[in-house]
Amino acid sequence: MLKIRNGRDFVGGVTMICVGLLFIWFGRELEVGNSFQMGPGYFPTMLSLLLMAIGALIIVQSLILHAGEGEPETWNWKAYILVILGPVGFGLLLSGLGLAPTMLLLVVGMATASRYANWRHSILLGLFLSVCSVLLFTKLLSLPVSALGPWIPFIGELF
Amino acid sequence: MDIFSNLLLGASTAFMPMNLFYGFIGCLLGTAIGVLPGLGPTATIAMLLPITFGLPPESALIMLAGIFYGAQYGGSTTAILINLPGESSSVVTAIDGYQMARNGRAGAALATAALGSFFAGSVATILLAVAAPPLAAVALNFGPAEYFSLMVLGLVASVALASGSLLKAFAMIVFGLILGTVGTDVESGTPRYVFDIPELYDGLNFVAVSMGIFGICEILRNLEGEHERSVGVKRVTGLMLTKEDLKRIIAPVLRGTALGSFLGVLPGGGAMLASFASYAMEKRISPNSAEFGKGAIEGVAAPESANNAGAQTSFIPMLTLGIPGNPVMALMVGAMIIQGITPGPNVISDEPALFWGMIVSMWSGNLMLVILNLPLIGLWVRMLTVPYHLLFPAIIGFCCIGAYSINNSVFDVFVMAGFSVIGFALSKMRFEPAPLLLGFILGPMLEENLRRAMLISQGDPSIFVRSPLSLSLLVFAVVVLALVLSPSISRKREEAFTE
Repeated sequence: MLKIRNGRDFVGGVTMICVGLLFIWFGRELEVGNSFQMGPGYFPTMLSLLLMAIGALIIVQSLILHAGEGEPETWNWKAYILVILGPVGFGLLLSGLGLAPTMLLLVVGMATASRYANWRHSILLGLFLSVCSVLLFTKLLSLPVSALGPWIPFIGELF
Repeated sequence: MDIFSNLLLGASTAFMPMNLFYGFIGCLLGTAIGVLPGLGPTATIAMLLPITFGLPPESALIMLAGIFYGAQYGGSTTAILINLPGESSSVVTAIDGYQMARNGRAGAALATAALGSFFAGSVATILLAVAAPPLAAVALNFGPAEYFSLMVLGLVASVALASGSLLKAFAMIVFGLILGTVGTDVESGTPRYVFDIPELYDGLNFVAVSMGIFGICEILRNLEGEHERSVGVKRVTGLMLTKEDLKRIIAPVLRGTALGSFLGVLPGGGAMLASFASYAMEKRISPNSAEFGKGAIEGVAAPESANNAGAQTSFIPMLTLGIPGNPVMALMVGAMIIQGITPGPNVISDEPALFWGMIVSMWSGNLMLVILNLPLIGLWVRMLTVPYHLLFPAIIGFCCIGAYSINNSVFDVFVMAGFSVIGFALSKMRFEPAPLLLGFILGPMLEENLRRAMLISQGDPSIFVRSPLSLSLLVFAVVVLALVLSPSISRKREEAFTE
């Protein structure tokens, strides 16, 4: 009977096969051509097949070899979600709110991912960084973002 | 002598006040960020890349190089002072360096690291200046087939010398190569995997990708095992080395430099392998080997010289062949492409001022590091004590603005966020992100050369073995692979990485 001896590698191998399938599926309209006249689909399709083959080998290996003793996994879902959603929120809010408030929100929001943060420090850090980033990026490097965006009426118009 | 006029040309570029200034800023920023715990050179460079976009190419590359060795140096400082290596290449420095610090000899350890690095950096720079032009001249005769084989060799070797599972590293390379095909196909103009998103027609931006898989991903991993560090750093005193110290470090520094320079040139080698290998070697042959692990000054001198020499010589394949051997060099290649320079053997002849300017700036940068860092050590120690919960929100904020500034579009911020998820998921399955980045950078070049070669040969794959040069490169790749797969070597390799 085959038994999965290394669960992590098994999942890894399956993931690689899925990635290969995904690229083949989304590239199905690309013309593959032949080795003389390679179409745009040739290289990605061959690579996807190769990736799937490697994925299969990883799976085979995971059925034969035991996983080595590793450190126990620790998970911190709150931190993952916050840290990954942070940049997404930054991207969504930037044009509306402007750089300064977005930065403040981002920093304060991110800081809550840590066990050791406290509100006072986070808000101070957020204020400090939003002032710095406005000075550096809006004023000095003249990125096309305003300090305060159109969602903040009255004050926004002053800048 | 030709080389002197070249170095003179380089000096006139590197010593321009503006370039000196940017080199200085680079070293300073690199050290400052390298000292911060949990940020290695790759993440540091990825994070700071966007601020160099507005600079002229020479200044931008000089600054990036400065950031690189600054970060390298900053990593050793934390390794010595708080036993927390900032990056993989200073892991072994921490063993004896930290013991020295506990014995009250932190100053001597730091001075040894600085002087060893400076010496090694100077030697490696000269080596770079001597070896680069002939290598580039050979590479100028390369056709598409040779280039293809060379890149295959580079990718294979980078896997062989990396740690971890071989199969998984190969998977990452292939995944990276596939990601490199996203965007408009150069030859036919057909869009690939763009899903009608206009921003994707130019392909995934490598800065956003690397900030995601290195910068943000590192933060995610650090937050997992977050614990309050009580950083008890004592005042660093006694930077002067005694005569006996000097006598003890001369031979290790020389050996470390030699080994490091050699290993740095190899693809996948670079600073990390150099420091591990030289520590292992020194431990075996040093007359004071009993002291190793308990604060032997040789245990700091050898790996620190080796990693700096390796860091410097890893520029050789990047500058002469356009082939990056490690993720940091991949980022440098990306930076050159952004600046409108095609990395490869033509750089020396087309952009001599840039090429030689960079080489001379490496030496001046190393000198700056010594002058800068020993007196400023108090400042770096203070930076060390910045708690992580104040640090990481700032890093994320900076990455967000950085990603935005690439094309002044929030799309790259989303790409960064997406790749932080991908990178994190991969690292949970124990896939290393470094080969992915190498594959991603080399992907388009590999495809272009493959297609050209096959067009020349009219679809006959034997073109890769008919040219003697291409054949020998491929044979070499197979030999490397066979060596790594052979049981006895793979056991040794495991030992080397666990040591």
